[in-house]
Amino acid sequence: MSSLLAVRGVTKRFGGLTAVDNVSFDVFEGTVKALIGPNGAGKSTLFNTLTGFEPPDSGSVIFDGSEIVARKPRDVVRSGLARTFQNTQLFDGMSALENVMVGAQAHQPRGFAGSALRLPSLISEDRVAAEEAARLLRLIGIERWADVPAGDLPSGIRRLLEIARALATAPRMLLLDEPAAGLNAAETSELVHTMRRIRDGGITVLIVEHDMGLVMEVSDEIVVIDRGRKIAEGPPRMIQRDPAVIAAYLGEVADDE
Amino acid sequence: MTRGRLVRITVPVVVAALVAALPFVVTDRFLLKIFTYAGLNAIVVIGLSFLFGYGGQVSLGHAAFCGLGAYTCANLTATLHLPWLVALAVAGAIAAVGGLLLALPSLRLKGHYLAMATLGFGELMNLAFVEAVPLTHGVDGFTRIPPPSIGSLVLKSPAQLYWLVWAVAGVALLLAANMVSLRPGRAMRAMHGSELGAMACGVDLVGVKVRAFVVSATMAGLSGALYASAIGFVSPKLFSVTISVGFLAMAVIGGSNSLVGPVLAAIALTLVQYLDALVPGISREAAQIVQAWEPDVYGLLIVVVVLFAPGGIGALWRRKRAGEAS
Amino acid sequence: MTWLSTGSRASHGSRSSDIVRLGELTVVVSEFLQFTVAGLKSGAIYSLVALGFTIVFAATGAINFAQGEFFMLGGMIGVWLVNLGLPLPFAVVLAVVLTACIGAAFEFLAVRRIGDGDPLRIIMVTIGGSVLFRQAALHVFGPDEVPLAPFTRGSSIMVLGAAIERQTLWIWAITLVAVAALFVLYRKTAFGKAMRATALRREAARLVGIDTSLMVTVSFALAAALGALAGLVVAPLTQTAFDVGAGIGVKGFAAAILGGLGNPVAAVGGGLVLGFLESMTAGYINPLYKDAVALVVLLGVLFVKPEGLFGGTGREKV
Repeated sequence: MSSLLAVRGVTKRFGGLTAVDNVSFDVFEGTVKALIGPNGAGKSTLFNTLTGFEPPDSGSVIFDGSEIVARKPRDVVRSGLARTFQNTQLFDGMSALENVMVGAQAHQPRGFAGSALRLPSLISEDRVAAEEAARLLRLIGIERWADVPAGDLPSGIRRLLEIARALATAPRMLLLDEPAAGLNAAETSELVHTMRRIRDGGITVLIVEHDMGLVMEVSDEIVVIDRGRKIAEGPPRMIQRDPAVIAAYLGEVADDE
Repeated sequence: MTRGRLVRITVPVVVAALVAALPFVVTDRFLLKIFTYAGLNAIVVIGLSFLFGYGGQVSLGHAAFCGLGAYTCANLTATLHLPWLVALAVAGAIAAVGGLLLALPSLRLKGHYLAMATLGFGELMNLAFVEAVPLTHGVDGFTRIPPPSIGSLVLKSPAQLYWLVWAVAGVALLLAANMVSLRPGRAMRAMHGSELGAMACGVDLVGVKVRAFVVSATMAGLSGALYASAIGFVSPKLFSVTISVGFLAMAVIGGSNSLVGPVLAAIALTLVQYLDALVPGISREAAQIVQAWEPDVYGLLIVVVVLFAPGGIGALWRRKRAGEAS
Repeated sequence: MTWLSTGSRASHGSRSSDIVRLGELTVVVSEFLQFTVAGLKSGAIYSLVALGFTIVFAATGAINFAQGEFFMLGGMIGVWLVNLGLPLPFAVVLAVVLTACIGAAFEFLAVRRIGDGDPLRIIMVTIGGSVLFRQAALHVFGPDEVPLAPFTRGSSIMVLGAAIERQTLWIWAITLVAVAALFVLYRKTAFGKAMRATALRREAARLVGIDTSLMVTVSFALAAALGALAGLVVAPLTQTAFDVGAGIGVKGFAAAILGGLGNPVAAVGGGLVLGFLESMTAGYINPLYKDAVALVVLLGVLFVKPEGLFGGTGREKV
């Protein structure tokens, strides 16, 4: 198994605070890896550095053999690495279907001239994008919301929609930032099925999550971050028993659902 | 053919026919000229609402692009005696280049620097229009600009000029509507909704913004060139920042995410300026009061629409159509 | 410059030409000083207006297009109060207070209504607001230019051959006091720290219990006060009218980004540099280009060094 995402020595500081401290790990192709840790441990910041939203102060990120640390988010997406956000960044004025269509456009040229003239190639590209968007909504199980403006959707559905949109960019790897937040028990188990289906479809997944049940059920490997530093990495069983992990979570256990 | 599709095709055709038929009903030269002004404003506002209503980019200097187009056309036709179509094309090209030069640096930056950059640009161009006397004849204005001519056909009558302007407006509307309903429009609305989300979808923020700006600048330039040829006279006063704010007001009042709304707003706000000519019963004093308070109304409408009805006329229009469809 | 006419250049021997050369040098120096004085005078005004932009930008992330109108309102209200019979000092103070209230009211009625705090909508509202302020001034005060008396009477003071008007000294003094007062407010008082916290991380500030909405209102009030102060203190020299807002707004903003938007110290620096550049251009190149300087600076800074001379808050590129 090859390492699809190799994170080496990534460090990010904000003024005096070191949010991410020399973190290194691998994510192997075709697996689901979870990134866990107490609140404020720097997980979302790490995501930002991996996807080009915030350049790290040092370190390297090698995705599919290429160094992506200096790339802009747009180029990272085009390289095949897609992400969702902890605070969903949907296009509230557009319908769910249109939201996903924007993701489907990721690899297409801007198309100003062609669309102004209504060239047949652009019309058919749009139709293909619409069909792909509909397919993804069905895959995630939210097709009945297709024509509803994203701003009117319940928060659980919004998170799922963002996943569908990220999938529309045809990624090789998906970074999910707390996808289960705001989901009830039924929706969470639906999410587990969806994530398995995503992985079985050949897409590697790195997920930041607090819901331990979900993490234990769905991950092949776990990496634990505490105060910006990696403190453990390994299969779920091993992590469960790791004393350093238990100590870091001692204050958090009571908060877990 | 579905009922929706039928409506979407017949309504524009009917409207186009009504617009084309107007000169047969309204024969007064001055009135026709007012409707021609409305068309010229509509062309600018179509471009501006494409940029602002869909893409969320503020431009306070669009009148400067009109001026660029107008003076280019005036110089090429009156001084160099080039064919009108050539002058029109060059005018559009110069406005496009101007837009590109302004947009590229400004849109690289996060935030709303474009607004101030366009304001500065608008003021600078206005100064240039006043001072570059050999090219613009300064505050006295550029007179005796030749009328439009296509080949050997010279368009001089009020009706012909009206048709020309509204034909161009129709084309502009069509092109903009196409872009809006396809990929570019979706990218712009996405950008407007969430820049982070758009970035995560591979949208080229700067590329889209710059292209949208160039499109709108070109439309403004073409409108300016048309104005110069159709009216025959231009002066720097026509291209001031106040006029730019007026265009923006039309786009705001017309509503975001709409092209039809801003066009209606452009028509309405143009007609209001000539209230005394249009409504025979109004006295001169009343008309003067309206004209003196016109900027207040613009300002108030901007504030009211932004606060309470960001959808503007466009949203009302959409709600009405949605109501009819159900 | 008349005594440098050709007559005195006639060669009367080496000692006379030495005296002549010394005289020329003195003229050049005093001319330069005169331009510098003029530059620092307008520069101080631009600094105050630029501070107004910076304060609102820091609190909301938006550009307040009505800032120039606060400048105008200060002057116009001051003149009106003087015409009502108030002694000049009271009129000045009251005009600043009233304009600050107008600024706060504008924020409360219009800006605050924008629930999501979207900077784009704030910008649009301030554009509409600026039109309304300008029109209100036109309807209430009329279209004519109106004068304001200098704060103290007296002739100009001569320093090294440059004439400094007394009002210019007032401008510098008031600018210094305003900047110092702001410094104390922001750095030394709890209130000022609350404002800085709001500017940096709004959600975090709210979580700590800071009333962020109030901070925004105060920002507008402060910006209006600074603008009004600038308008009042320069009115005796330039007169004031209902339409001076737009011009000073653009120049103040150019000064703000020349220094670096988001940084109050940079705003002051930017204002002084802009004033100096304007004055040098008018004096040594062509007075006609004076008004274009700010515009060229504005576009130039955006294109070349968007962070400004002194680097503002992260002006990141997309």
